[in-house]
Amino acid sequence: MHVPFCSIVPPYLLRRLALQDAPEFSSAANAARNALGHVESFQAARARAVPALPPGLRQVKPGPVNRTVFDAGDEETLPGRMVREEGGPATGDAAANEAYDGLGHTHRLYADAFGRDSVDGRGLKLDATVHFGRLYDNAFWNGTQMVFGDGDGDVFERFTKSVSVIGHELAHGVTQYSAGLAYRNQAGALNESMSDVFGALVEQFVKNQSAGQASWLIGEGLFTPKVQGLALRSMKAPGTAYDDDVLGKDPQPDSMDSYVRTSTDNGGVHINSGIPNRAFYLVAAALGGRAWEAPGRIWYETLTNGSLPSAATFTVFARATIRVAADLFGPETREHDAVRAAWETVKVKV
Amino acid sequence: MKIKVERTGGIAAMTRVWTVDAQTDRDLSHWQPIVEACPWDAVPNTLRAAAVAFEAPQPDRFIYSITAGQRRAALPEQALTGPWRILVDSARAAAEESSGGGASPGADANGPA
Repeated sequence: MHVPFCSIVPPYLLRRLALQDAPEFSSAANAARNALGHVESFQAARARAVPALPPGLRQVKPGPVNRTVFDAGDEETLPGRMVREEGGPATGDAAANEAYDGLGHTHRLYADAFGRDSVDGRGLKLDATVHFGRLYDNAFWNGTQMVFGDGDGDVFERFTKSVSVIGHELAHGVTQYSAGLAYRNQAGALNESMSDVFGALVEQFVKNQSAGQASWLIGEGLFTPKVQGLALRSMKAPGTAYDDDVLGKDPQPDSMDSYVRTSTDNGGVHINSGIPNRAFYLVAAALGGRAWEAPGRIWYETLTNGSLPSAATFTVFARATIRVAADLFGPETREHDAVRAAWETVKVKV
Repeated sequence: MKIKVERTGGIAAMTRVWTVDAQTDRDLSHWQPIVEACPWDAVPNTLRAAAVAFEAPQPDRFIYSITAGQRRAALPEQALTGPWRILVDSARAAAEESSGGGASPGADANGPA
């Protein structure tokens, strides 16, 4: 029998391989998923004349993590003084160590679950600055690195305390290097939701929690004990993360019925993200097991396969996830059904 | 002259407002130079205009809406430099000092709301 020296593996086979869950198949499954992404983005490019992702964005074998942590010393100048390099010993500073560990966990999730080599898919060095500003109540991604404040000690503790927040900031980098979702209105709320989804997945991955065991909270442990609240947001029950005399109540809607129109917060990007956040939770809850597997795979492919426009609305994104679920798992499978049902529950028209 | 600083956005998306009401001659002589030092005509005056002026926003950063008398400005945190930073930091410090029982009459800090 003649064995072809070189052949293109057909998409249906890549799909089957991509579905292999056993650990011994994981590298093959990752490779298949990557190749499938190539094939599908190539097909998409041919069909719609949309440029496919550069091949470098989908490496088969992710490289090792390369982290550097800096200390801004309560100033607002970046990156600050280098305090820990890759492989270096732990410092005496909890914030620096939490940032270092969180970067490692996040890198590992993308490598192991999705075959992605760091934030940009090309082994980007991961830099983080801690102790940014004085009593600074925030964490952000500035386009090239993560930045964490210490909190004011009254409402917020230091922002490195939550692995989901570290994962959230790095996911902004992944979005920037893939779909490039605009940071405004519905596209901005999707950008925020991607960060909450992958932030939550990093935390579940580290704790090895199933969808049923996970808290689905973003930023758990950031509030001081004075605050009546569990976290910044709840993906499982948007609008219930806090209800405090001083802070007020968590303003997130849990379906399109309560979508918030506002000019603040870039058009409510941190508010309306509750809707797609809950859709992801519903898919994970329906499928059970590890959320970074089938549900995470569907969301990751949707974000990175090159077909999502930067101005995507909730409807455009929802349709894309349904299409990806059918491509990866087959039409009318439980995965495909779970995704369709989730968007119906949060009342996003598809 | 009423000075109001509203901070929105941030990963927690909690709005904070700091206000200063400068009424006496002594207050006005303190606040007017700080306000006048800012180039009000050179920056956007609404959040929408700021979104257009500052493309490629940095995810999770704060956004500031500032009013002083009839003047208005809207700036992302990364553009809050020089005299703007002095104005915002001064207003916040005065408002927080006032709400904490300090000696800045007319200033008020509305905690996250």
